Amino acid sequence: MEDMIFYDRLQFAFTITFHYIFPQLTMGLSLIIVFYKGLYLRKKVEKYNDAAKFLMKIFAINFTMGVITGIPMEFQFGTNWAKFSELTGGIIGQTLAMEGMFSFFLESSFLALFIFGEKLMGQKLHFLTGFLVFLGSWASGWFILATNAWMQHPVGYEILDNGKYVLENFSALFTNPWLLPAFLHNQLASVVTSSFVVASIGAFYILRQKNIEYGKLFLKTGVIFGLISSLLVAFPTGDWNAKNVAKYQPASFAAMEGIFETEEAGAEIVLVGQPNMVEKKLDNKIAVPNILSFLTYQDWDKQIVGMDHFEEDELPDNIPALYYSYHIMVGLGTIFIGIMGLAGFFLWRKKLYTIKPLLWIIMFLVPFPYIANITGWYVAELGRQPYLVYGLLKTVDGVSPTVSSGNTLFTLLGFVALYMLLGLLFLVLVGKAIHQGPKHQTH
Amino acid sequence: MTDTLISLISVFIGILGGLSFGFLFKSYSSGVIGNTIAGVFGSILFIKVFGRLGFNPQAIMQSGSVNMLLFVINMLVSFFGGAIAVFLSYKLKTKFNK
Repeated sequence: MEDMIFYDRLQFAFTITFHYIFPQLTMGLSLIIVFYKGLYLRKKVEKYNDAAKFLMKIFAINFTMGVITGIPMEFQFGTNWAKFSELTGGIIGQTLAMEGMFSFFLESSFLALFIFGEKLMGQKLHFLTGFLVFLGSWASGWFILATNAWMQHPVGYEILDNGKYVLENFSALFTNPWLLPAFLHNQLASVVTSSFVVASIGAFYILRQKNIEYGKLFLKTGVIFGLISSLLVAFPTGDWNAKNVAKYQPASFAAMEGIFETEEAGAEIVLVGQPNMVEKKLDNKIAVPNILSFLTYQDWDKQIVGMDHFEEDELPDNIPALYYSYHIMVGLGTIFIGIMGLAGFFLWRKKLYTIKPLLWIIMFLVPFPYIANITGWYVAELGRQPYLVYGLLKTVDGVSPTVSSGNTLFTLLGFVALYMLLGLLFLVLVGKAIHQGPKHQTH
Repeated sequence: MTDTLISLISVFIGILGGLSFGFLFKSYSSGVIGNTIAGVFGSILFIKVFGRLGFNPQAIMQSGSVNMLLFVINMLVSFFGGAIAVFLSYKLKTKFNK
């Protein structure tokens, strides 16, 4: 049984991690596309329209990859996690179906219209289709986050005699106090990724002395969007999320912050340290006293409970992974603010396009927002353990008893091979689009 | 479990169908990017719609092992789905841009 749960979780972690590479770009990119299209409508400068259409091409490749990698997710609910689906299907089925019916179809239909229909529709309707693609992709995020919010902090449900969960209050799903901060944090983090991708393409064009006009446009947009979104991801949305975790999942909060022992007066914030699970302490710790209490409760001396306060089976089952994921996410977020702040300063001083070392840094920084986004999701998912639905349904009670670990391992290996091919195809297609450049479609 | 893998392989065959059609009939091609995207959606659409006739991934694995005949039919339909999608996207593009 242990083996089975391990492979089921490993397979889900692998497939969802690979899948989330794509939606995190499409959600943020759709906002930048709408921005360019809006600028074009206002200023009638062709380069904004070219930029919007070029980014929509990258959006389309990402969207397609997201669709392909989304297929196994749909299957896994039924195969690996059949018990979970059976028990909670009455609730999560609602939001997942809404995601498919409303958002996915909105996004895919208007994506096709945006790509093919510019001449037929005229510019105002073309802008509208772009806006609807944006709306679809963000609505998709909303419904997925609503599903996850219910798993993190279940509300509006009733448990039937047969153990199944059903909705008692539909609107509670969308007024869940977990949902709004998680949604805003997630969407802004996707804008961070997209801004870095756009800025990176811009830096690449400038360094290669190719499509320089567009390079400058992309770099400027990427830096401005990147700076604003990096700041908003940290505050207020990141702060709001952390406060929610402290309030609703105190055991997870203690684990992700690395608080092994409850301190009576004020908790320190750990900057560096390695969790030692044998001695239940942090090795080589560098911490600042009382800051965590202040950040969480605006009170320097407020007590924050440590992991010693909880029973062993109530704590997340992989504390080091949770702790490192959280600190990687926060550390990278801080670096993003620093780099984008610096780039913003040089943009303001009109020197950014000539500082080659900074352009190289911006160009090669592109994988890191992906890492920050994915580790952010690891924090949410590892922090919820040992539950699938926090406080109600343990992970061990949600797996399918009939699927063997050997079978799961076989398909996992198959996914790894196919996803490697898919990843390669993705890089080739995006590389080709970037090589062709924004001018390609109009000139 | 294996049916999940089959559905992914099916999508890859759809991409292959789209790219092959674009390569053989260059006047209908939307470029490598366009043909790949059309191949994916054509394959998914065809398998979702026609797979219910008895060759969707679940039906292929119904006996517990892979039914090779149904598997081949699935792959062929997926291949043609990808190819037809490239043709249709060309037609759509031409009509929209008249």
